[in-house]
Amino acid sequence: MGQELDSSEAVRAWSERIDSVAAQFVLGEAASVDTVAENLAWMRREAAGAGWEEIARLAARLHDRMKASPQWYAEGPMADGLEKLRRAIEAATAPKAEPPKPANTLAQDAGLVNDFILETREHLTSIENDLLTLDREPAQPEALHSLFRSFHTVKGLAGFLEFDCIRALAHEVETILDLARNRQLDITARVIDVVLESADYLKNEMNRLEAELAGAPPSASADVSALIVRVQALNKPGEENEEEAAAPPKPELVRAPEPAGLAVETLPAAKSTPAAPPAVAQETKAPAAESRTSSEKFSVRVDTLKLDYLLDMVGEMVIAQSMVRQDPELAGLRSPRVTRNLTQLSRVTDEVQKTAMAMRMMPVGHLFQRVARLVRDMSRKMNKPADLELSGEDTQIDKTIVEELADPLMHMVRNSLDHGIEAVETRRASGKPERAKISLRASHQAGHILIEIEDDGRGLDREKILAKARDRGLVSEGHTLSDNDIYNLIFEPGFSTAAAVTDVSGRGVGMDVVRKQVMKLRGRIEIHSEPGKGTVFQLKLPLTLAIIDGLVVGVGAERYIVPIFTVQEMFRPAPEMLSTVKGQGEMVMVRNRLLPVVRLHARFGVQAKSSDPAQALFIVAEAAGRRFCLMVDEFIGKQEVVIKNLGEGMKNIPGVAGGAILGDGRVGLILDLDGVYGDHSRV
Amino acid sequence: MTATITDNKAASGQASDHRSGKYLAFHLGNEEFGIQVMKVREIMGVQDITAVPHTPHHTKGVINLRGKVIPVIDLRLKFGLEEVPYTQRTCIIVVQVKGEQGSSMLMGIVVDGVSEVLNLTASDVEDTPDFGTGVETRGLLGMAKIKGKVKILLDIDHVLTVHDLTSLQAALQ
Repeated sequence: MGQELDSSEAVRAWSERIDSVAAQFVLGEAASVDTVAENLAWMRREAAGAGWEEIARLAARLHDRMKASPQWYAEGPMADGLEKLRRAIEAATAPKAEPPKPANTLAQDAGLVNDFILETREHLTSIENDLLTLDREPAQPEALHSLFRSFHTVKGLAGFLEFDCIRALAHEVETILDLARNRQLDITARVIDVVLESADYLKNEMNRLEAELAGAPPSASADVSALIVRVQALNKPGEENEEEAAAPPKPELVRAPEPAGLAVETLPAAKSTPAAPPAVAQETKAPAAESRTSSEKFSVRVDTLKLDYLLDMVGEMVIAQSMVRQDPELAGLRSPRVTRNLTQLSRVTDEVQKTAMAMRMMPVGHLFQRVARLVRDMSRKMNKPADLELSGEDTQIDKTIVEELADPLMHMVRNSLDHGIEAVETRRASGKPERAKISLRASHQAGHILIEIEDDGRGLDREKILAKARDRGLVSEGHTLSDNDIYNLIFEPGFSTAAAVTDVSGRGVGMDVVRKQVMKLRGRIEIHSEPGKGTVFQLKLPLTLAIIDGLVVGVGAERYIVPIFTVQEMFRPAPEMLSTVKGQGEMVMVRNRLLPVVRLHARFGVQAKSSDPAQALFIVAEAAGRRFCLMVDEFIGKQEVVIKNLGEGMKNIPGVAGGAILGDGRVGLILDLDGVYGDHSRV
Repeated sequence: MTATITDNKAASGQASDHRSGKYLAFHLGNEEFGIQVMKVREIMGVQDITAVPHTPHHTKGVINLRGKVIPVIDLRLKFGLEEVPYTQRTCIIVVQVKGEQGSSMLMGIVVDGVSEVLNLTASDVEDTPDFGTGVETRGLLGMAKIKGKVKILLDIDHVLTVHDLTSLQAALQ
């Protein structure tokens, strides 16, 4: 192996060799061909040994060429080659130049950057909240202070990590906000717009940083200079005029080149009504909600993996506790003390389980916040002024529901604005208030959550929908449908009337995806509408996704769980109720209706106790709008179970929604009745 | 000093390095196998397995592992060997495998019996012989010869996550 020579020594040693080769070459001594060859060979070996491949190659090439044609030895190329060799050696042995110091050395720490992203995002949520508050109450002090603090904190964090663009922007905004809270600057719609734009810039930067952390190639911050200029301009009252002129909602100002007189006239108007631009959405809260203080409760960040693990363990604890409680040996002791302790244990366990489940809950207000922003932006773009009314923001729902419901909710509101709410002139003509009203309400109702989206627009046109459905073959003639059924047709795929997908949604989420999403959450959508008056969408969702109330049934040696919300009733059929209809399979007469029979043992390929329906249990169930009877062996009990995923390889098994751990520790499969029913004609 | 020695070391050094270590030895019939101990989470006696419909024959179903529901695969069936009734020696080895997308998950494998933990050095492990064209041996890390017996070292990640093991089955038969 070659030795790592101290660089200057190495350079010297090699230079000597090269020089002697060069000298011999210059002197043109014929006998020295061999010596030169020997020297080159030495160089090649040394270079290879030291891992200097380039040099080794050069040396080798020179050596071979020379050996092949000694005449060449006398020619120019040799001198070039030697020069190249010398330079290569110097480069290889030169002390390594210091690698250029990375711009943010602290930012190399992924943990710090990640924390920065998380914290900034929280501040961004608060910033948006505050801005929307200021939109309707431009001088509200708490919002102003909170807004200032948010930008101030972000500025500090960014400075610490040397994210200069972010820091600079935050600083400018903070300056403006400081003036505002000291009453030296009014919060006009323009101010809000620019600050919102700044928040958007920060949002994008967070996304960019997050992508970099995840492995995307490092990129530079987006150019912030133009935005900074706009922020600084907020402090210069003269500029305000031009800004208003640029905004589309004011048609008269678009012709700004007209005599300055026109512009001057509108200036006082702009100043006196800060919310002048006609399409600003306003947010009103039901008088009871004083949510600002409630959001400042102390909280801790918890890794969701840890939380899920805790929930798993709590579930396991509940089962273990129940097994101990039901142990016949303990019961045989007939000890009042043991009984008392076990009762206490079970009470505490229940409480722990309830609390653990509650940790997954969050207020639905988070969801509504995103909608507020959407309404403001959209109503401006469409020139349909609208007020958003929120109530029940403190209602607690499972965090997964909040995440999964965000897109569908936004789409439905967008849909309302787009198709439901009429243009200003139309509303005026029909005697409606010019400003449309959209309401979002959340409440708990007897075991489920109710979320309502109401607008006072033109309502759904029943006949038009029916006609369109008939056109597309979704409804056949002679079928009578209830109003709700007809309105639900708008959720059929292909029914979407959205010709132009606005850039606000970006993802082109159709109404059919909305319904699918709601159903995925085990929810239902009900629609009520009055032509000319408006429409209400009611989303009914289960309180939590993690737990399901189920009926444990047995088929042979297997145990299955039927979700209770799908079950209408259970009974043991009398032979005269059963029949077979040609082309449709087995049927059973229930309350004067003929329902198809689905044999669970056949569907799942398991051995049933008996294949005689008269010995079996029939469960009348409803899935995806279709009613049928599920045939099983026996009813074992009613149980609240925690839904467990079956794992990667078993995600899409038709008829199986997941697994649950039963009281005896065994795993029972939770049925997905839609999948069980399947394509019934295939039976 | 010469380039050739350098090359050699670079090539073979890596391969044997990562295959040495501790292996859990188990058997299916007369065939002995080993999987890296790092991948083994626990070993338990065979218990009630809840069957799941519409899954491949070798997927026996799922079990409750302290509150977590994990799938269980019968390794005999996975390798295309004949199915035998479970005995008292039959075990479920719970392993942590890395899926194709890099995610890791727990799975149980049913084996006839578990024997010991082997400490293998690089020299104990040999490459699987070339069985001929078309026979894929990616699920095999290599072979180890210990006390006169040959043990087949499995790449359990590959074995449990790749669906088509027909070539591997052919290699084992």
